[in-house]
Amino acid sequence: MEVVGEMVIEIHPLVLNILINFGIGLIITVSLNLEVGIAGISQFGRVLAVLVGALVAAAISGRLLAAIMGLPSGLEYADHMINFKIVDQINRTLATNVTLSIGILFLTLIIAALLGALIGYLCSYPALRLKEAYLGITLLAFGDALNTIAWNVEGLAGGTQGVNVPDVFRWIGVGPERYLGLVLIIIGFAMIVFLFAESLIRSPFGRALKAMRDSEVAAAIYGKDIVKLRAQALMIGGALAAIGGALWAFYTGSFKAVTYTRLTWTFWPWAYMMLGGVGNNLGMLVGVFVFSVIRTLIYAYKTELTTFIPINPAWFEYILVGLAIIILVLFRPQGLLPEKPALTLPKSKIEEIKQKVKTEKAG
Amino acid sequence: MKAVAYSGGIALTAAGITLIYMATRTFNFAHASMVGWGFYVVFACYSIFGGTPYYYVPLAALFSGFLGILLYFGVNRWLLRAGASPITLMMSTLGVDLVLLATINIFADYLTDVYKINARYFVLELKDLVLGSMDGLGVRAIPFVTVCVVVVLIVALHLFLKKTKFGIAVRATIENTQLATVLGINPEKVYIFSWFVGGALAGLGGGLLSLTMSGYPTVGMTIIVTMFAGSIVGGLSSIFGSLLGGFLVGLSEYIGITVLALSIGGWILAYRILIPLAALVTTLLIYPQGLAGIKLKKIIIKTPGTGGRVGSGGGG
Repeated sequence: MEVVGEMVIEIHPLVLNILINFGIGLIITVSLNLEVGIAGISQFGRVLAVLVGALVAAAISGRLLAAIMGLPSGLEYADHMINFKIVDQINRTLATNVTLSIGILFLTLIIAALLGALIGYLCSYPALRLKEAYLGITLLAFGDALNTIAWNVEGLAGGTQGVNVPDVFRWIGVGPERYLGLVLIIIGFAMIVFLFAESLIRSPFGRALKAMRDSEVAAAIYGKDIVKLRAQALMIGGALAAIGGALWAFYTGSFKAVTYTRLTWTFWPWAYMMLGGVGNNLGMLVGVFVFSVIRTLIYAYKTELTTFIPINPAWFEYILVGLAIIILVLFRPQGLLPEKPALTLPKSKIEEIKQKVKTEKAG
Repeated sequence: MKAVAYSGGIALTAAGITLIYMATRTFNFAHASMVGWGFYVVFACYSIFGGTPYYYVPLAALFSGFLGILLYFGVNRWLLRAGASPITLMMSTLGVDLVLLATINIFADYLTDVYKINARYFVLELKDLVLGSMDGLGVRAIPFVTVCVVVVLIVALHLFLKKTKFGIAVRATIENTQLATVLGINPEKVYIFSWFVGGALAGLGGGLLSLTMSGYPTVGMTIIVTMFAGSIVGGLSSIFGSLLGGFLVGLSEYIGITVLALSIGGWILAYRILIPLAALVTTLLIYPQGLAGIKLKKIIIKTPGTGGRVGSGGGG
């Protein structure tokens, strides 16, 4: 235990902060890249699925626990005068009950993924009829609509007052220990999502999506069902984004609809994706990492920054992201790591086959 | 009355979005901040120099028009030359919007620091001229001014597009850029024109809206959905269509929510933004051409003899 304690102290909280932003950002951006970069759907409503995931963590996980423990779990659960007491009691139970904590975490993520997929499926209705900018605006409108609803329906997740989210990481410990454990779990999930997306892109399904992106007609001629492909891409993307949203809500420990804006959860992931290289999954790692480091540092050194520049660092952040988008669009539209043909077989195997062919030809 | 003023302002901004989209195929997200700057130019000048807010509305239009030109020369021009996709064009304006949003915020901070006025949230409505009183309530000038501006704009645009050489060149470029270029029309001029006028309409709309609603740095972000809804309901193919569309969306938002609030209860007021969202989504899914757009297009653009005049305009 003492070794762990020392290790915790060595890791600067800033690093952990960067890692959290990186992990969550990576999940969202990978899901966005799957829809935009691979399937060619102009997803301007990423916040929709993220919000659904966060809502599941805020409204369903707490209610489930409250119901198990015999606490009020109906509409009154979301009342801000009662909610913090209930969640406090839940958290005290969760602190000792590891199985329940982990169980609830996974159950929430599964429900979030299912609902996210459902949202994706619903989005495929307009996605089949509209193209590019029109589709983008429609999905953006969906995101805003759900945000308005979550902000105003008090019985769902506290409305304007928000609710507290059960702390499923409390069993790890308190203070820095918990924080480190949480970071590791989130990074773990991010890596799983990343690898999942990576293998998906390399699979026949991923190649079909790319074919659809490059030429819908050609893909249809070769027998690919465009309707189904689009719906599947949107469902997978939605499920992944919802997982990201749920994890974010668990991390912050509270839920307020107003923080799930199209700016933070749609436009910024777009900027990450564009920096990394649209269509290149590996690029997402780079893009998200660069932006998370910069954004976290700006946040952390807010006061120090104001002595150098006479403006509020929050606006500095906007300018930075905005300029990054403009510069990328103008000078490097393919991003830092441009998309490359995905190798379906490991490179060594391809070399092997090449050699074989060569020897056969020679012989 | 407020509904009319609000709808008029939305109609102007929607017309700006449509004009830019028609000429350059760019969905201008930066419209949000251009409208926001309209709010702030009027507010800042009024707070510093006094007078009535109306003096500064033309200034707001000029300023946002200038922003439009800046956006064109800084970003849009190069992308158009490179033949960028509509999504890329849209993303680039989003980047510009973020930068402009930051500048509005910085400007608001500056106003607060230097002039000791609360620039993060302001209400100019009470500074409006009072024309008279009706049932003990003061009748404000803004609805009449807005309606006048919209009417003047319709007449002026109509005359410009029908009677002047450059207006015909604009129409020709919108209809078929390549053909217009062959006939000696410089599309560059048309693009600059539409970005300037589009931006100016945003500033004008913002300046007028600042007299009907409260202002804050992200006000453009909040109402951009209504503006987009207006221009999409209008069909994105005719400025007059989008003026009508913006007017209808604004009216239905304002009146619809009032009617609902009276019949169902006040709690519905919070869901006001859902009305333009619904208008937007239903228009796109059911009738993407836009109800107003198709009708007006037939009357205004496809009048007989257009082809002849385009030719003469280009030749001259």
